[in-house]
Amino acid sequence: MANTACFIIVGRNDIPIYEAEVGSAPKREDAAQLHQFILHAALDVVQDLAWTTSAMFLKSVDRFNDLVVSVYVTAGHILFNGIKSFFQEVHELYIKVLLNPLYLPGSRITSSHFDTKVRALARKYL
Amino acid sequence: MANYLAQFQTVKTSCDRIVAAVEDVSDLWPTVKGLFEEHQPLKRAFLTNRTRNPVLVENLPVEFILTTDARLRSRSPQEQYLFWFREPYATIVLVTCEDLDEFKNILKPRLKLIVQNDEREWFIVFVSKVHPSNDQATKSVKKVYAKLEVDFSSKKRERCCKLDIHGPNAHFWEDLELKITECIRNTLDRRVLFYEDEIRKLTEQRFMPIWNFCNFFILKESLAFIFEMAHLHEDALREYDELELCYLETVNMLGKQREFGGFDSEDDQATLLKPGSKPLTQIVQDDSFREFDFRQYLFACQSRLLFKLNRPSEVSSRGYSFVISFAKALTLHESVLPFCLREVWVITACLALLDATASHHHDGIVAPNIEKELYRLQGDLYSLARVKFMRLGYLIGYGTDIEKSPLNSACLSMLPWPKPAVWPSLPPDASSEVLEKEKTILQATSRTKHFGIQRKPLPLEPSVLLRVANRRRASLSTGNIPEIFDGRTGFTEGSGLEASPRTPSSRKVQAPPMSRTNSSPGNFESPLDRPMRLAEIFVAAEHALRLTISDHDLLKALSSTQDFEHKYLNLTKGAAENYHRSWWKRHGVVLDGEIAAVCFKHGKYDLAANSYEKVCALYAGERWQDLLAEVLPNLAECQKNLNDHAGYMSSCVRLLSLDKGLFSPKERQAFQIEVVNLAHSEMENPVPLDVSSLITFSGSTGPPLQLCDGDPGTLLVTVWSGFPDDITLDSLSLTLVATNNTDEGGQALKSSAATVLKPGRNTITFDLPPQKPGSYVLGVVTGQIGRLRFRSHSFSKGGPADTDDFMSYEKPTRPILKVSKPRALVDLASAVSSALLINEAQWIGIIVHPINYSLKGAILHIDTGPGLKIEDSYGIEMERYVEIDCDAGASKAEVSVEDSPVSPKQDSEVLNLCDGKIVFSEWASNVSSILWVPVRALSEKLARGSSSVTPLKQDILEGMRTVALKLEFGMHHNQIFERTVAAHFTDPFDVTTRVVNKCNDGTMVLQVMLHSLVKVNLIVLDAWLDLQEGFVHGKSEGRPTSTFFPLVVSPGSRAAVVFSISLEKTMSSGKDLQLPESILNIKYEINGDRAAGAHKPVDADHSGSDSERRALVFKSAIVLQRPVLDPCLTVGFLQLPSDGLRVGKLITIQWRVERLKELKGSEAVEQQHDEVLYEVNANSENWMIAGRKRGHVSLSEEKGSRVVISILCVPLVAGYVRPPQLSLPNVEEENVRSNPPGPHLVCVLPPLLSSSYCVPVK
Repeated sequence: MANTACFIIVGRNDIPIYEAEVGSAPKREDAAQLHQFILHAALDVVQDLAWTTSAMFLKSVDRFNDLVVSVYVTAGHILFNGIKSFFQEVHELYIKVLLNPLYLPGSRITSSHFDTKVRALARKYL
Repeated sequence: MANYLAQFQTVKTSCDRIVAAVEDVSDLWPTVKGLFEEHQPLKRAFLTNRTRNPVLVENLPVEFILTTDARLRSRSPQEQYLFWFREPYATIVLVTCEDLDEFKNILKPRLKLIVQNDEREWFIVFVSKVHPSNDQATKSVKKVYAKLEVDFSSKKRERCCKLDIHGPNAHFWEDLELKITECIRNTLDRRVLFYEDEIRKLTEQRFMPIWNFCNFFILKESLAFIFEMAHLHEDALREYDELELCYLETVNMLGKQREFGGFDSEDDQATLLKPGSKPLTQIVQDDSFREFDFRQYLFACQSRLLFKLNRPSEVSSRGYSFVISFAKALTLHESVLPFCLREVWVITACLALLDATASHHHDGIVAPNIEKELYRLQGDLYSLARVKFMRLGYLIGYGTDIEKSPLNSACLSMLPWPKPAVWPSLPPDASSEVLEKEKTILQATSRTKHFGIQRKPLPLEPSVLLRVANRRRASLSTGNIPEIFDGRTGFTEGSGLEASPRTPSSRKVQAPPMSRTNSSPGNFESPLDRPMRLAEIFVAAEHALRLTISDHDLLKALSSTQDFEHKYLNLTKGAAENYHRSWWKRHGVVLDGEIAAVCFKHGKYDLAANSYEKVCALYAGERWQDLLAEVLPNLAECQKNLNDHAGYMSSCVRLLSLDKGLFSPKERQAFQIEVVNLAHSEMENPVPLDVSSLITFSGSTGPPLQLCDGDPGTLLVTVWSGFPDDITLDSLSLTLVATNNTDEGGQALKSSAATVLKPGRNTITFDLPPQKPGSYVLGVVTGQIGRLRFRSHSFSKGGPADTDDFMSYEKPTRPILKVSKPRALVDLASAVSSALLINEAQWIGIIVHPINYSLKGAILHIDTGPGLKIEDSYGIEMERYVEIDCDAGASKAEVSVEDSPVSPKQDSEVLNLCDGKIVFSEWASNVSSILWVPVRALSEKLARGSSSVTPLKQDILEGMRTVALKLEFGMHHNQIFERTVAAHFTDPFDVTTRVVNKCNDGTMVLQVMLHSLVKVNLIVLDAWLDLQEGFVHGKSEGRPTSTFFPLVVSPGSRAAVVFSISLEKTMSSGKDLQLPESILNIKYEINGDRAAGAHKPVDADHSGSDSERRALVFKSAIVLQRPVLDPCLTVGFLQLPSDGLRVGKLITIQWRVERLKELKGSEAVEQQHDEVLYEVNANSENWMIAGRKRGHVSLSEEKGSRVVISILCVPLVAGYVRPPQLSLPNVEEENVRSNPPGPHLVCVLPPLLSSSYCVPVK
């Protein structure tokens, strides 16, 4: 089945720091924006859930018609929205980015290397 | 058993409380009935719940029914068994008896008969009607009651209680309540056990063919009903939950597919909160119930119990999931159900849930988190209803009224169309309605976005309605479909999803002409055969919906655009409000945006702007720029319509500062044009605006600019402009903030008048006035465009342009400017410390020493103090100054030569003084230099020689002269250094004279000692004396032997010249030319270096050749005194007593005055020659003098006459002290000879121990 996924890393203060449209479905032009919209709204759910559990992976926190929102919260309360093992790998990548002394935590991730890796992981897991 | 369903239903509705039977043996009930019913309901009853745990039930109502009552009597045993829950839970036997015999013989057997039925829970109430005053009767009654207790109560259980009608009964009622409760509890337990047993038996047969769900249902619901009657709602709820589970399991069993239901009229209205809406007999089907109705019934029962348990939020949460799962079930049966029944049912279900929960919920009585959850669920229900409502609206052609916002698009475009088996077709008489619809479609022009933003509107349909509707029509084969789209361009075949890249509105506009090619409007030959047009689809859907919907409110809401919008707004508002209450701000704010869109459409711009601002603030705060880009233009348009210039401009600036990829360059240019036009329009007040996100700035890279205190400078600042085009700023200023002092606002630096900012990086130069010492960071950039005053706080990283979108406000800001603390920048010092020649033109050296600071163009003001004059006729010489006090001096000089690249060769020149100032040359900017200023110290005073007789005090200040210097330097001559330099001037020699020898012939040898006062060799060429009156030269004519000259006097050494002079014999007082003093003339030369001290006068150098050079002449006055020849009087201090002086002891001190020679007329000045004036001088601290201190004593004029002057003294202090002295004021000192000749001391002993004198203590 052709699937589509939007992967967004949300920094503290709910600022998106990385976005990627991944998935095999032919791209709908407006999908990106709708996905963003849905993920943004899902933050409401996440904010309620994140402090009630110690688990990092929050499974599917929100459902929007046939879109499922899954969330992965890192210890520093950075949110990843997508699927568990994919999340874990991306988390590792993210930590590598974070270790980069030139990366200012909270700013946008612009590394093309990171982008390529994330897309490769998406192909692998999603 | 299933046949009893109807009866069960009626039984259930007819009894609602626990029944207690009253066996009225002694006809007492009419008397006590009132009392019994007064004490209802049971206040506290401990019952046992399903899990056999005691539960406290409060206020349990009990109904008392006489056993003779028809309600209890008429039941057959079968009935009793089946509906056991309505049978009495307790039997109360009412008796009275006052006679023991009567009791024994009549009452007791009867009672035994009554209570022998073991099934029943019973107890006896003995009623005593005896008045307490009647002792006899009371006693008798007591006996009977005692007997009764013995007979019927057992150790295990008290079964009797006594009611005194005329006595106090408080205890009785408690007792009664306990006993009734006990009975109820026991009965309840037994019945629950029985039912559970039965249910278990039935459950075991569940998978057998004979199993009948209705039987199971009756048992299960009976049990639930028993619990509910006993107010054990929790247990009742559990029974229903189990029932629901069981039902869902059985209903989905294969091979048992039954009718779903949902075809009755009003089935479109959800009955999920009305358990009695349909009798169960109506929904029964074979051995089970129709799913559509039964699931709603079960939910209704559950929610009723939940409301009784006061848990409206649970109703909401269960309700929400019920609606979702039920809607799924409806989807499964959609093909057979009426058109859009699912949507309608969901709407009514949500609204019913909202109403019920809202009316049962009272603020503040539940925990905050539950309340929050409730509001969240309310919000969810509202938005669910809203989505479905929008869907219905869209189907009947109100799509143009639905804002194509991300929310609506996300909701609708991912929600599949209803899938009826056959899409509703156009009713035959609807052509006028179709025309009407077409008209509205044509009229609906898509609103062009402000700023000419070209953005594809978001879709509201999951797939093209036209296509879906036509495909689902029975008569139309799918092969015809492509022709529907014939007239369209850009149609991409193959994708079942959003096929058209065009806007829905443009499609709608295109639809009518397309239809015209197929058939002319108004002439529908065969609507079944050709594809329906959009308007026709709308009309058909509307007709179908009218058939589906039975709810008047909903029908009305869909009847017109206004009603639709009204309802839509209500739902949206409800959702927004509840989400806000549940702190789901994102959901709430987004819905606010939807309300805003409606307000906007109706021109209520102020309301719209308010809501849009909230939405924008949310997205901007969390920097979801894509979403912001969608809403912000709307806000801007509202603000423009409201004439909110400030807001509008701020919105434009925010639009510009969004990611560049979000808008096309053309759109961005439009934003800028708006800003500029508005800024230059006639706004009343200047508008302040924060453009931090658009214009960022940073200092130049590299180390901060270093300035000395008081120096101005220029500061280069990089300003990044986010405007798409060049923008002209009327002014631009920058504040600097001192890092050490935050309370001071910082000073604004102005840039040159008009600045044009290019897109991207600009470098702006700011003039920097002198700043206070400290380190400064960039503060704020402010500027003006027309009436727009903007300011920007954000520092860009100064990195490459593509990363400057991120504002690094968290980064500590780098100092851009450092102003050092005031320090010495230059030093002025006198070059020579030793004395210079007075009254001669001398070079005075001033060392100018820059301390790491350029003296380029410096101006030195020279102001000489009193007694000093600059010799204007000579130029001021300036030369490089090289310190030579250490070994490194030479190498240092070389380095400094290399340091000044301007003119390394030049290191001296002659400058001219004009108006008391000189200007420094280029070469002297960075190196130490020395200025030689020709000056002349003026002194009128003639040098005076000193002798042993008249020692001269050397006044050090006399030769001191000062030069006030003021150096103006720095870039703008802003630095000023002032110093006063002192110079010491002196005569070349200090002259001391003494008479070394007196010859017998009256010639005296006068030795003149010359003490060199300067630090150079002085060459004495000649010396001569001009003598005063009374002296004449000896043999040498006033000059020493010339062969001794030239005499070289080295610095600090002494030389002596000897003159012979003699006294003039004849006093020629008449001579006028005689001098009052003798003058010593010394002709000398000086060979000094001006760097060391005194040197050859300036003018000497200019007087040509060596031979003609002018020798210097030093003149010094010498006082010569004639010798004292004739003492007239002698004063002798007489010997003191040998035992010495002692403090406090009176003593006589005596002087003897003797005349040595007779007085001669001219020398004596006294009037009376035979008297001498004396005076005793004593230090009053040492001596106390008694007697006359001053007076005349007679002394004859004859030679040798003598007199003794005595005076009484008391010494006051011990030690060596000066004794009192006698002086003769009227006699010239030269005529008095003293013995002893000089001052002397006497010894004073300390006082004796026994002394009783008072001694002044110091």
